[in-house]
Amino acid sequence: MTAPAGENTSPDSDELLTPWAVLDDYQCFGCSPHNPHGLQLRFRERPDGLAASFRLGRAHESYPGVVHGGLVGVICDETMGNLLVLRTGRPAFTTAMRVRYLAPMPVDVAHECRARITTELPAADPPGSGLPANGLISAEADILNAAGDLVATARATYRPVDLDAARDRIQLSDRAAGRLADALTAPAAPVTTPVPAAVPAAEES
Amino acid sequence: MPTTAEPVLATVTGIVATELATSPDTVDPDLDLRTVAGADSVKVLRMIARIERAYDIELDDEDVFTVTTVREVTAVVERALSGGTAA
Repeated sequence: MTAPAGENTSPDSDELLTPWAVLDDYQCFGCSPHNPHGLQLRFRERPDGLAASFRLGRAHESYPGVVHGGLVGVICDETMGNLLVLRTGRPAFTTAMRVRYLAPMPVDVAHECRARITTELPAADPPGSGLPANGLISAEADILNAAGDLVATARATYRPVDLDAARDRIQLSDRAAGRLADALTAPAAPVTTPVPAAVPAAEES
Repeated sequence: MPTTAEPVLATVTGIVATELATSPDTVDPDLDLRTVAGADSVKVLRMIARIERAYDIELDDEDVFTVTTVREVTAVVERALSGGTAA
């Protein structure tokens, strides 16, 4: 997100790189640092999941001074979805999501989204690589203000898909897919770790 | 999730008391929550969100925005748990 619209704030040094960081032109509206129109969410580990701190500005309003409710859903979905990607080592597609809006979210105010997986994953090596029999994983997200008050809650279901199968639905060159496959199976790296040389997602292979 | 042996009324009362920062003993299950000092609509929604989370259910807004007492909330939850609107 650009400065006039507000900026995401994850001041902690334990920010994580998502696997998508190996694709230097990925344009995810929620989490790509390359999309000037996006939210540019950054994530950090929590004992029970993943968190994203953010502050949205007037460019993301609905009513004056109030963050657009659709973006509240985007943030919940991004935080839950990336948690699943990091835990399962697979791209995860959202199959359903429900958001309960508890209070208007003011612009230019710091908030935090916290996501956790609610489905018990079967034991597997590496941990998280096993999927339930129905292939679906559920997650929950809370958005809290600085006082710790709940502003919104969400629950969603995701279908993690092996990268090879996901390539039927997302555009990746062979080279980019190879890099992404390595990143998906590697432990999540802190942002201080040098990013491997990135490749365009849809570059000619 | 609360055990099935735990009365829904007790669990709902506990959640309401937590949100109102009071003791469950002081929560009258038949009191109109809208008349309780500090129990504005946002707090009531937060109670509902915590109850949904506790029981892994999704309550219909038609119910959420019409219930006024803890006992009515409990009835809605019990209906959802019996198959009405449970997720």
